[in-house]
Amino acid sequence: MVEWLDGLPRFELALADSGYPAALAATEFAPDRLYGIGDPVRLVTGLAVVGARKATPYGLQAGTLFAGWAARAGYTIISGGAIGCDQAAHRAALEAAGPTVAVLGCGADIAYPRGATDLLRSIAESGAVVSEHPWGVRPAPWMFRNRNRIIAGLSGALLVLEAGLPSGTFITADFALCAGRDVLVVPGSIFAPECRGANRLLRQGAAPITDVSELAAALAGPLGPPLRHPGDAWSLDGATPTDDPVLAALRTGHLRPDDLARLLSMDIVHLARRIGALELRGLVVKFPDGRYGPTPEQ
Amino acid sequence: MGQCTVGTGTLVGVEVVPVDAEVDVGAGLPTFAIVGLPDLAVQEARERVRSALRAAGFDVPNSRVVVNLAPGPVRKHGTGFDLAIAVGVLIATGQLPRAITDTCLVIGELSLDGSVRPVPGLLAYALAARDAGMVLMGPADPDSGRLAGLEYLPIAHLSQLRSRLERAVGSSRRHGSAEHSVDFSEVSGHEQAKRALLIAAAGGHNALMVGPPGSGKTMLARRLPSVLPPLNDRERLETALVHSVGGIEESEALAGVRPFRAPHHSASIAGLVGGGAPPRPGEASLAHNGVLFLDEMPEFGPAALQALRQPLEDGKVTLVRAEGRIRFPSRFALVGAANPCACGYRGDSARACTCTPGVAARYLARIGGPLMDRIDLVFDVSRIDPSLLLKASSGPTSAELSAAVIGARERADARGLGPTSLLRGVSLLMACHLDSLATTQLEAAARIKHLSGRGVTRLLRVSRTVADLDGEERVCTEHIAEALGFRSKEDC
Repeated sequence: MVEWLDGLPRFELALADSGYPAALAATEFAPDRLYGIGDPVRLVTGLAVVGARKATPYGLQAGTLFAGWAARAGYTIISGGAIGCDQAAHRAALEAAGPTVAVLGCGADIAYPRGATDLLRSIAESGAVVSEHPWGVRPAPWMFRNRNRIIAGLSGALLVLEAGLPSGTFITADFALCAGRDVLVVPGSIFAPECRGANRLLRQGAAPITDVSELAAALAGPLGPPLRHPGDAWSLDGATPTDDPVLAALRTGHLRPDDLARLLSMDIVHLARRIGALELRGLVVKFPDGRYGPTPEQ
Repeated sequence: MGQCTVGTGTLVGVEVVPVDAEVDVGAGLPTFAIVGLPDLAVQEARERVRSALRAAGFDVPNSRVVVNLAPGPVRKHGTGFDLAIAVGVLIATGQLPRAITDTCLVIGELSLDGSVRPVPGLLAYALAARDAGMVLMGPADPDSGRLAGLEYLPIAHLSQLRSRLERAVGSSRRHGSAEHSVDFSEVSGHEQAKRALLIAAAGGHNALMVGPPGSGKTMLARRLPSVLPPLNDRERLETALVHSVGGIEESEALAGVRPFRAPHHSASIAGLVGGGAPPRPGEASLAHNGVLFLDEMPEFGPAALQALRQPLEDGKVTLVRAEGRIRFPSRFALVGAANPCACGYRGDSARACTCTPGVAARYLARIGGPLMDRIDLVFDVSRIDPSLLLKASSGPTSAELSAAVIGARERADARGLGPTSLLRGVSLLMACHLDSLATTQLEAAARIKHLSGRGVTRLLRVSRTVADLDGEERVCTEHIAEALGFRSKEDC
């Protein structure tokens, strides 16, 4: 069961230890012990990035963009290792060769979710995989709710990528607010049930993040200035609205060809060829659910 | 007392193997024996023949009767020998003139009251009789149309054998020509799906529809035969023959209506591609020259699905049995329908999917790579807004689409490279006749979309058919652009 972490160092930290992460220790819900794999030094205050397990391409694109930028800027990316938004954030951080921390709901030596073994190993090699549960504790549904408080506690700010209603992301956001962390939210479409939770957080006062310069400004306070120059990231600066009605429609929302044809009053054959041409130019992509949307960072 | 030989036959696949029913009535204890590898149903002919002869007012010989069905090594199945045995007994006992035996192939099951019942495969027997220069003597068929233009001797009751026998000719009337009860003009919305089915019909491509329950996949598939060109004379006979042997009404096929077969996903391998003893055609053969629709395709047994690879590749099913190889024709357009995931609602705008991402990804993979390779068109069918459903549809009718299909097929036939859906390699490139711009675009598509070699082949085949629908000699970038929208999920 545990051969996936062969050769990786394990550590245990008690609340009184000097190595125990200070930000987490300062919260009222700090666990008494932390069990981890990897390097305990990596447990620095960072940016927590969370979102739906059943993420849409929009949530995954946003996660890849913002987590990737923050990791290049030297901020530690903290998330839960779950399928969907969490894994997109971890992967973006690893790709940027930035440190990342996964907080698991089960024992830190249990590779859960299944299928994430390789990802968790990469995280442990460059950062840390931690849990409040002792070694070998199997996952149970109630554990993940409590896991979220550690994610919030380790962070200096929380970025919500995508959340429906109801959503476990709200638990993380509540813990973050309790601990006095900033809650940042990527706004979603008003027509998408997948985005209702995120948009509700915005109405309740969370800060909207629409590009990396806003993220940079929001992180400078709680996490300090970037350790490294993150380089250029995608932004809408300098981008102009397109004259192509098909591309414009797809930029504002993911649509199926049939809906697009109806909204634009276009013949389906003509439209299908326009979409195909845009796809060949790398401007739009077809998502697994059959909808088309803009390529990120086009 | 004497001997005689009556010509009859038994079905092997869709072909009739001639069988001689030799009857010997001689001195001895009054017994009735049938030899020559008869199965149980043939053995039971003894009782039926005896009762039927008596009921029709003939004398039943009170002596030893031996019936030999030759050739001996061929296993004889079914109840079709009854009439031949009865005729043989009557001739051997001098109750009927001998002349019948030279000119007739005799087939039919007897009822105890002497009436003659139909048996499966009458069309096959009638064709075999014609080929042998004989006339089929068989059950009087209320629907003489099924023996389309073939001469035969109808016998409704054994007693008719006494009177003068009159030959009839099966009328070749075509039942109101190929009328379809459903039409594409009734479908509102689903523009992309309708276009995809038009392309599938024009190029003979296999297609897979992916969409949540109730989105209209079955409704769309049912309309596919209505845009296919009517069966030509050769196809008509081929299809009717399989239907006749399979024991289903062949009048529709004879009228030129393409078959539409929709087996349930619990179908066994034998049910799908044929089998059993004696071997009977499966759904894939009953769909010959038509459409085989597999609803809930991932729910079919993996072995049953993979068994479809042979007919998809060769256009026929070969069953290997101890008594030999039996071939059933099986050239059909495969149309599959599948839910996008196990719960069915992935990507639906109104209901949330309850599958974990891994389960969802594995669901469609159940269809299996080798079979997916044969499917050129994959497209989504989404549930449409109820308000759109109520609006009158203004789309083209099946007749208009059918004209486009026939035009595209004529252009494809003119190339002389075979059906577009079977093109590959050099002949596919020759058929596409790409210009340099289109070649560049194709390379770009392959690179951006990480298409495999097979993915490029499928893309080009569909592009070729799209160009045929446009009436274009060469495949251009716009055709490739449209075809790109129909690639499968693995090619994404």
